[in-house]
Amino acid sequence: MSGVELKGVRKSYGALEVIRGVDLEIKPKEFVVFVGPSGCGKSTLLRIIAGLETISQGDVIIGDRVVNDVDPSKRGIAMVFQSYALYPHMTVRDNMGFALRFAGVPKSEIERQVREAARILELENLLDRRPKELSGGQRQRVAIGRAIVRHPEVFLFDEPLSNLDAELRVHMRIEIARLHKELQTTIIYVTHDQVEAMTLADKIVVLRDGVIEQVGTPLDLYDDPANQFVAGFIGSPKMNFLEGVVENGSLLLAHYDGQKIPLGPVSGKVPDGTRLVAGIRPEHFGPNGSARLAVTAEIVEHLGGETFVYAGNGGREILTVGMHDGRAFKPGDKFEAAFDPAKLMFFDSQGLRVS
Amino acid sequence: MTGVGFAKETGTLAAAGQYRRPARFQPLRFLKGVFVYGLLSLAAFVSIFPFYWMLVGTTNSAVDIVRGKANFGDHFWINVTNLFAQVDIPRVLFNSFFISILATVLTLVISSAAGYAFEVFRSRFRERIFAALLLMLSIPFAALMVPLFVMMAGVGLINTYTAVIAPAIANIFIIFYFRQATKAFPSELRDAARIDGLKEWQIFLRVYFPVMQSTYAAATIIVFMLNWNNYLWPLIVLQTNDMKTMVLVISSLASAYVPDYGVVMVATVITTLPTLVIFFILQRLFVQGMLGSVK
Ligand SMILES: Nc1ncnc2c1ncn2[C@@H]1O[C@H](COP(=O)(O)OP(=O)(O)OP(=O)(O)O)[C@@H](O)[C@H]1O
Ligand SMILES: [Mg+2]
Repeated sequence: MSGVELKGVRKSYGALEVIRGVDLEIKPKEFVVFVGPSGCGKSTLLRIIAGLETISQGDVIIGDRVVNDVDPSKRGIAMVFQSYALYPHMTVRDNMGFALRFAGVPKSEIERQVREAARILELENLLDRRPKELSGGQRQRVAIGRAIVRHPEVFLFDEPLSNLDAELRVHMRIEIARLHKELQTTIIYVTHDQVEAMTLADKIVVLRDGVIEQVGTPLDLYDDPANQFVAGFIGSPKMNFLEGVVENGSLLLAHYDGQKIPLGPVSGKVPDGTRLVAGIRPEHFGPNGSARLAVTAEIVEHLGGETFVYAGNGGREILTVGMHDGRAFKPGDKFEAAFDPAKLMFFDSQGLRVS
Repeated sequence: MTGVGFAKETGTLAAAGQYRRPARFQPLRFLKGVFVYGLLSLAAFVSIFPFYWMLVGTTNSAVDIVRGKANFGDHFWINVTNLFAQVDIPRVLFNSFFISILATVLTLVISSAAGYAFEVFRSRFRERIFAALLLMLSIPFAALMVPLFVMMAGVGLINTYTAVIAPAIANIFIIFYFRQATKAFPSELRDAARIDGLKEWQIFLRVYFPVMQSTYAAATIIVFMLNWNNYLWPLIVLQTNDMKTMVLVISSLASAYVPDYGVVMVATVITTLPTLVIFFILQRLFVQGMLGSVK
């Protein structure tokens, strides 16, 4: 199996530069997930690796070949599209075998390959149907089958599950994880979905405005984000950000009626008067925390297993507090949200992590 | 198209009426119904009457037709025999079919490829060239006729099939139509085909063409009719009787010193039939194509 390497990759559409210098190394057999807000260039980057877009600068390396000028079909990649992009006039069998037929593979061999892929994806009974006679999940599996049949070195997925309903999405997510185990190929996967990213990835790449913000394992990014953007992007519900100014060794919060919280990991490292943003994840609130913040519940969401309370204290910020025993909460309740100051993260005015 | 819209609307009106109090007479609703159906009947009459008149005409003598006789007579076989005696119908039909079919096939190939290319390939001059093409649509054919004739004469093509077919092939309207249709062709399908190893022309033939069937069906009908009914240009470049098309024959029959309208009507029916047949064969696809669906 091949890895993929991007070196100083840039891409412009006319005057607009959408990929602004990306360096990235993906190891063989790694499952890498690209995440980032809409329009940040995830699809473009994936299409660059596929060879569907030319680059303005830099090198794309698959295996040990620079593939800048190599045709998509000769890069050893296969791609699964968000819209599935199945050929509507062909049966499932022909859809899956099309690339092989085109590459001049003998008929019996194509049939064998298609059967094998159909077996892996449980599509055996659907081989003679056309795409419009299939459900969304089945179409998605055919699209994956079409990719498998080509025996690619690298699989590329562009938001493959976003057209499926929630239940099917969970199911297909597990399928894809199983597939990765079974096929042992390199996978690059674009998604909007937090859970997909966290559960599938060996490595997450967070993109913003055409540059990489941070690369790391899901838990690395969760526990140790390099900046406020990554901290806010990874984790759901989002991390709480509390603006404040350092005063006498603690942070005077701007939106909580003059309350103060300890500086936790950065205490003693920042001078008075520094503007900081404190970050605390909703799930890090708990009854045993030594730091406290008095707030009033505004909205309460009971999810059964856990409860999310959206609380404030008259200011512009809303604090999301997660609880395991919050069934008694009602809007309007006043309470003290407790947390362990060691869990706090701090960011400076540029959004960079202070530690 | 409007007919379909009307029918739908009255359909929902009727359905809605059933759910409300069906027993009470509602004068406004009733009047609306009368109006709508009256209008539809009028439209149907206006579009069907010429066909009826044409069919009736084939069975009457010229004298009866001029007199305005509107029911079927017994002159049919005489008219048919007269027509075949005056004109070499098999030859003329062959000319019409040969020119129309060849021109249609070539137009569809060339113009659909051009429309596809205009949409798919990015170039700095693309929009300007396209705008120039559209602008050319506004030049009346009468203004092109003479230079075109001189050109054809210059290369010795007067009175040949080529002279009729060649100028028809690059049909700007059809190029435009295919460019619009290509906008609805999913670009991910093209990407998938590129990854599967197809070159652009293979994508066009193996994916675009089969997926866009209904667009092609609609274009086939339009282009075939255009060529089949083409009059002015063939009239100028086709000069001997053995090269004439059906439409030219009708016009020369009708402009004879004493036109035999019974014979003209028979020729007209023969000329109308092929377009009707093609329309009914491709009808289902045609409607889809005009509505611009890709599926
Ligand atoms: N063909 C194009 N011409 C011009 N600009 C383009 C083109 N394709 C994409 N862009 C721009 O490039 C940027 C990145 O687009 P891209 O599709 O990669 O975003 P994305 O991260 O995949 O977003 P999403 O999550 O919405 O799919 C966007 O600002 C988009 O407007
Ligand atoms: Mg995208």
